[in-house]
Amino acid sequence: MTSFVTHMVLSLLGSVMPGSTSDGSGRTFWMPESASTQAPFVDHVFDFINVICYIFLVLITIVLVYFAIRYRRKKGEVNFSGDGPVHSTPLELTWTMVPMLLVVAIFYLGMVGYLDLRRSPSNAYEISVTAQKWSWSFDHPEFAVNQAGEVYVPLGRPVEFLMTSADVLHSCFVPAFRVKQDVVPGRYSRLWFEATKPGTYQLYCTEYCGRDHSKMLALVHVLPEDEFKAAMGKLATEYMDLPEHDLPAYALDRLYNRCASCHSLDGSMVVGPSFQGLWERTVKGETVFTNGEKLSSLIGPGKEFETPEDYLRNSILDPQHLIVQNYAGAMPSFQGQLKERQITALILMMKYLDRMVNEEGIPIESPDLNELDGGDGSESPADDAGTEAGTGQSKDNGE
Amino acid sequence: MNEMTTLETGQHEQPRLVDDNYLTHSRGLLSWILTLDHKRIGLMYLVSVLGAFFMGGVFALLVRTQLLTPQGTIMEQDQYNQAFTLHGAIMVFLVIIPSVPASLGNFVLPIMLGAKDVAFPRLNLFSYYLWVIGALFFVLALFTGGLDTGWTFYTPYSTDTNSAMGGVIPALTAVFVLGFASIFTGMNFMVTIHRLRPPGMTWFRMPLFLWSIYATAVIQVLATPVLGITLVLLIVERAFGIGIFDPALGGDPVLYQHFFWFYSHPAVYIMILPAMGIISELIAVHSHRHIFGYKFIAWSSVAIAVFSFLVWGHHMFTSGQSALVTVIFSAITFSVAIPSAVKVFNWLATMYKGHISWNTPMLYGMGFLFIFTIGGLTGLHLGTLATDVHLHDTYFVVAHFHYVMMGSALLAFIGGIHHWWPKMTGRMYNENAGRFAWFLVFVGFNVTFMSQFMLGSQGMPRRYATYEGLQENIFQFYHIISTCGSYIMALGFFITGIYLLLSLFNGRRAPTNPWGGRSLEWQCSSPPPHDNFSEQPAVGDCYDFTVLEWSEQEQGYVWRSDVPRPEKEADQSSSEGSH
Repeated sequence: MTSFVTHMVLSLLGSVMPGSTSDGSGRTFWMPESASTQAPFVDHVFDFINVICYIFLVLITIVLVYFAIRYRRKKGEVNFSGDGPVHSTPLELTWTMVPMLLVVAIFYLGMVGYLDLRRSPSNAYEISVTAQKWSWSFDHPEFAVNQAGEVYVPLGRPVEFLMTSADVLHSCFVPAFRVKQDVVPGRYSRLWFEATKPGTYQLYCTEYCGRDHSKMLALVHVLPEDEFKAAMGKLATEYMDLPEHDLPAYALDRLYNRCASCHSLDGSMVVGPSFQGLWERTVKGETVFTNGEKLSSLIGPGKEFETPEDYLRNSILDPQHLIVQNYAGAMPSFQGQLKERQITALILMMKYLDRMVNEEGIPIESPDLNELDGGDGSESPADDAGTEAGTGQSKDNGE
Repeated sequence: MNEMTTLETGQHEQPRLVDDNYLTHSRGLLSWILTLDHKRIGLMYLVSVLGAFFMGGVFALLVRTQLLTPQGTIMEQDQYNQAFTLHGAIMVFLVIIPSVPASLGNFVLPIMLGAKDVAFPRLNLFSYYLWVIGALFFVLALFTGGLDTGWTFYTPYSTDTNSAMGGVIPALTAVFVLGFASIFTGMNFMVTIHRLRPPGMTWFRMPLFLWSIYATAVIQVLATPVLGITLVLLIVERAFGIGIFDPALGGDPVLYQHFFWFYSHPAVYIMILPAMGIISELIAVHSHRHIFGYKFIAWSSVAIAVFSFLVWGHHMFTSGQSALVTVIFSAITFSVAIPSAVKVFNWLATMYKGHISWNTPMLYGMGFLFIFTIGGLTGLHLGTLATDVHLHDTYFVVAHFHYVMMGSALLAFIGGIHHWWPKMTGRMYNENAGRFAWFLVFVGFNVTFMSQFMLGSQGMPRRYATYEGLQENIFQFYHIISTCGSYIMALGFFITGIYLLLSLFNGRRAPTNPWGGRSLEWQCSSPPPHDNFSEQPAVGDCYDFTVLEWSEQEQGYVWRSDVPRPEKEADQSSSEGSH
């Protein structure tokens, strides 16, 4: 009954307020679209509290304004009568007890909803989530698939995020599901939901985590079970079957979003060095590190890195080993998040970046990468790439 | 009885500015910076706190301006992160926590007790200089790399030297030092209230402002050391890599949150309790009506102080603490709602059959009732577990705590400044300008923060420098409203500053008792003499206003000639309280 009245009031309010729709999305004046099994209960509790708030606020305001006007001091009043009671124990006990009963009811409702949010069903589909500055990575153990910046989840089936952080505190928040849970380094936290509507929903980081906190976003795509399985199958194998010359484009399209918050494509200095011209700098060995060493003294037969590719691979897997001068060394390791062939794809992307994006870092429509197969010069040692790809594949199989 | 008569005649025959008051008692810069006079220290605090308020306000306007468009208007991410951090840190540690107790409390508390000064005047001055040192450390933090951790200094971000900016250790030192300023002030006030109450002023005859200052002092003394030691641990971890909170070093980041909120939740009551004390005075005095339910209000202050220590976990409902702990903290949190509600009802009942003056202090008082009601009621959404999970760390929380900390605590402070301005400066401000500025502040405040409730419940997270590239497209609508509100509010504060400053030069001379208050500060001249009272005054019921009447000649209230003054008790011990 209460929630019926609330909804009446809300829809009246909502019809004159922005952001309200009547498309059955569950969006109201107060709440965003709702798309999980838990959301309706949370919304009902919210509405119930709102009704109590409206009643008290309206009553208090009316009394306040009425008293202020009714008992306004009259002009010329020189002394004051001692009218009105100084205290009244029954009255004061009443307005102590009534709020007390109300809050007990509110507390109980909130507790019931909360315990439901904390207790995940045993048959939940599990996704391992790693948060790091400033991106989200999602692992599907069941399909050996890793996604970054977006995640596919099945419709109508409980999904559980098993989350940890690689660096500082983060928090995973999906408003449409009404769920939120901090992601803490050094421990695992859980969050579960069951999506009720296919679609794409925003996921936010809601625990302040530094410079690009406001860009630490991701999308949750809710897919019907069969579409979900098909999508997973495609993700699991797509880069394995790609020919060599498609790998850079694959990396730019599917992998670069992990790097984008720190490494630009247009040459601008962000948190890390730009990818523009990175390959040339690496080959020439111009890069200087915080320990004073120059890259040229580290690359070559018998030195720390045999080839420039070895250096780049190491920078992805062990970024704290060598930190480029003038940068803070903020990069987390991607060990275990990227398969060897994906690392190869990223290195190839850096190598041929100038053919895939223009000066402003905007992708070129149909880049000409055919010569990759030919191996026409010293700049593209197809052998190296091939070897790496080969080891990568064997490692993948081992995992 | 002889002196008593002197005091009485003194009151009646000195409508003009007393030549020898605390402002003119001694001259020269040294007489101020080395003063032990609680009134001068209170005034120095007031000026300093308002200076910090201005700085914090500038950062607030920068933050609001940035958020006008989804991609941000005037700042890079880094700059925005610093702006909201400094806004929060300055407003909490430099402004709101010391605002009422250290400035108005310092000025009024000893006079309300009929005492010459606080119990430990030197310690009082020392507290002030600790505040100054703390403020300087904040400035140092700005010049040593800046501060972008948020005012909460959450680990491991704050201990991670790679990411958090270099100003963390100076800023932590600042908060540590400010903590001691707060502890010393609290201790001083506790001792003063225990030892220097005048004969006849039993605990339940104290003005309610003193009750709330006393409850605040207890929290300051008991909770602040926990914050101090936590920050030292954080400094040790950041400087020497000793693992306490950073999991990479074997520490626990959630432990930091427990320590931090064990202080910082009670700190919320350090902010709001003195404000409630002011409101009790404002509503009673300007309604010219005995406060309703004195004992309930007094006890609810104590109850809030006690409960405040038991609810810190409600800041951590989504932190990963166990479900059982979370449920228990939620239950205890609701218990704080009761004494707060009781106070609101009692204040409303005080207005019943009153004679309400619609002057600036009372407008701030009535505005407080409206704003605090909203602040308190929206606390229900956040104390409730199921809804807090959705609302935590969104703008709903931002709106809620601004309604409590800014709209309630800070606006009560501004109301208190108006209430005691004639007493402190000996001048009346322009009442019409005051009403107009209050209107701007009140409207601006509600426009700014009401819209943030919707912003938050729709899902907008806190501490976002930009909100572009989202699925959600209604955030900008509310952000624009909110920013417009903040400009209106800023204009209101600007006008307030102007007319208060002008009143110092051309304001009407303040009478001894311009409002008709009965507590003791309204019985010594405006501004008070150096020693406050030449003889300890006798105390009656400080909320019985029927003994006063308006005097055209004084332009203020005087004791009714047909009512006898309260007698001093014969068995008064000679020395106690006269210091």
